[in-house]
Amino acid sequence: MPVRVVESSTPSQVSGANSGNTLPQACSLLTVGQTFSGTQNVSSLQNEKDEAWRVNVCIQGCDLDHGYLCGTMEALNVPMADTPGANGLRLSSLSPTWLQFMTHQFYQVVTFWEGEIVDGKNYTFFTGKWEAMPEDDIRHWTKFPSFLPLLSRVEADGGKTLDLSNYQYIFMRWKEQYFVNVGEDCGLTIAGFYYVCFSCIDGSISGFYYDPKSSPFQKLELKATNGERSGYSFSTYEFQ
Amino acid sequence: MIYQSKLAPKYDFLDHQNLEFLLSLLNSKNDNVTGLGASIITHSCQTSAEQWALYEAGVFQKLVDLIGGSVSQRDASLESLTAIIKNNHEVTPKILEFENGRALNLIIKFTIDKSPRTRLLACACLIAVSKTSSRYVEGIELESKLIYRLLELLEDPGQVGDEASFALSSLIEEKEDLQKLAFEANAINKLCFHLQNGLSCPKRLQGILQALANICSKLEICRSKLLDLQAFDLVSDALRHDCTDIRVAACICLRSLSRSVKNLSAGYFMNETVIIPLLQLLHDPSISVQLAALGAISNIVIDFTRRKSNFIHCGGVKLLAELSMAMDPVVRSHSLRALKNLTFLADRKCKEVVLSEITASALASLIRDPESAVQEQALALVRNLVDGCVQSVDYAFTENGIILDAIGRQLQYASKAEIGIQGMYALSNIASGSKVQKDAVMDQLFQHGGMNTQPFIMRFLHSNDNQLRTASIWVLINLTTSYCPGAAGRVLKLRNAGIILQLKSMVNDPCLDVKLRVRATLSQCMKYGDSTM
Repeated sequence: MPVRVVESSTPSQVSGANSGNTLPQACSLLTVGQTFSGTQNVSSLQNEKDEAWRVNVCIQGCDLDHGYLCGTMEALNVPMADTPGANGLRLSSLSPTWLQFMTHQFYQVVTFWEGEIVDGKNYTFFTGKWEAMPEDDIRHWTKFPSFLPLLSRVEADGGKTLDLSNYQYIFMRWKEQYFVNVGEDCGLTIAGFYYVCFSCIDGSISGFYYDPKSSPFQKLELKATNGERSGYSFSTYEFQ
Repeated sequence: MIYQSKLAPKYDFLDHQNLEFLLSLLNSKNDNVTGLGASIITHSCQTSAEQWALYEAGVFQKLVDLIGGSVSQRDASLESLTAIIKNNHEVTPKILEFENGRALNLIIKFTIDKSPRTRLLACACLIAVSKTSSRYVEGIELESKLIYRLLELLEDPGQVGDEASFALSSLIEEKEDLQKLAFEANAINKLCFHLQNGLSCPKRLQGILQALANICSKLEICRSKLLDLQAFDLVSDALRHDCTDIRVAACICLRSLSRSVKNLSAGYFMNETVIIPLLQLLHDPSISVQLAALGAISNIVIDFTRRKSNFIHCGGVKLLAELSMAMDPVVRSHSLRALKNLTFLADRKCKEVVLSEITASALASLIRDPESAVQEQALALVRNLVDGCVQSVDYAFTENGIILDAIGRQLQYASKAEIGIQGMYALSNIASGSKVQKDAVMDQLFQHGGMNTQPFIMRFLHSNDNQLRTASIWVLINLTTSYCPGAAGRVLKLRNAGIILQLKSMVNDPCLDVKLRVRATLSQCMKYGDSTM
């Protein structure tokens, strides 16, 4: 039976009379327990060659009403040079002991991050903190092709009047809060944050790291993972 | 005096003669007699029928008049008024309307009375109003003032100070905006100050723990503040207190503190100083203590730091498995919820301990428990057990597939969406396994019910619940994926059952998640012969 597919790929603008929910809808691929795997590329300005290392992400908490998401980010095979590192890590002022540890052992860092979901209610496209000016925001958001249909509204009012409830992409900012498996004196910094675009279609994630002190536009690319399974698996928990 | 005792018999306000006698007491010119009348109301008025009967008899107006009387009459009247309006949506608006708000203004005035007791009673009365009436015009501004008044009253060394924290607790309960106001009013510091300076009065300790529990129930900033103030050990210590109410309050406070992914991810709670006393409380003869402890345990075991083994080593799984067989259905469902949370992202070893303690046959029985809340939690536990590494799917097939069969049977008769959601996600996780496991799920979709019975998945696809439709489609996505042999046969069977046709009618589903998954499923199915969408 042929069925006509109705496309509504661009978000509408909220009219004054629209009192309905304009927040992004829940997406089963962006729920607690979901894991993502991919890479973060670093364009090193010093040696003009691209470096990439593996990154795993696990969603641990999600509260759409408050525009909140959180989880862990695990960086594997972090490069040895004094370049901006995985998870937005920057290797700075490394002690000789730390360098020796990195040189001879497998280097893995886990950070806990918290996300702001751009929903027009809790958060807009304009960051307003973390040293990000509106022009920084626009410069990063426009790196995502799925953002372009929203650009004019965002430039006008930060996207407050956009109805994102049926949009197939969810925009977020992820900010690493603390190191999980190493101490704060590890010689690394998590000062910046990520601009993130999540695709509800296939669960893929794109991100750009922003830190005025780091190389610009380090790209994060992740895909939803399901291990050795031939299909998707979903776990759950609930707070009391 | 008699009616100041909780043990005094209740007075029947629905008896006409009793009501007349009560009015005669309130009409007396003697302070002691009117005070007795008010005490009777405070002590005995509990049901909405009684509240309404008192209002209709004119008691309400009489009490408002008495507020202007002597100190004892005023206090007794305020307390009685609170009893009459508490949780009563019909009577409460009357106090707002009474003589254009005269009664309300009078009560507000008494929140700054020189007598601490009067201030507390006036606050309590206004809290009862604010919790019941949405037409409370002064709203947040007055509630904010009440928070400050109650925090001042907390400094009272006597009974008023003891009761102030309970009133504060009641005011902010379930109200995120008021919890934020309490935070901004420095309530956590003030409550912690009392906690840290040692409390000899059990009632005060209970009230403070309860107030802290409510302030920290929703907002992360509040939880962080409490932890920053090094109050966590004091809350943990209270778990071992002799007084039952304090143990319950400590559990509830821990439950609020542990509602935080950030703190759980930092590994704050999964240690023996917290776990062991909580597990001991599961042996408590009081069900309220058991349930409070289960609430805290449920959150703590979510633990993202891979230290769930600490809980197992302390004997936690064995105890929870035992309680999942308790006579009380609430204890059963709470225990299963704790086990579900424990198995969230747990390693295989943890899951094996859980399954060996609870056993596959008992879990199958719990899936078919008479109580729907128990069924839901049992299904969610299975969902988590079969998540993770692909070998975990085998758990559903132990004891000749008794668990999988129980899921299928339960879903056939599931009346509540929540049960369907958990059951379908359990099936979806199993269907992400091998060909044999996918085929077993296919069998479950079609084998239950008679020849003319609609497969339960068809019923779920027609559901109004977005999550249930989504969960059902994930089962279909996993069954039709081309990454596993046998997909063509499964697609054919689904098509013959009319399920593919149903999916085609859902390509423009109003729920975005459903719409996208439907399209993904149909796209997969197109590889097996049907090119129309």
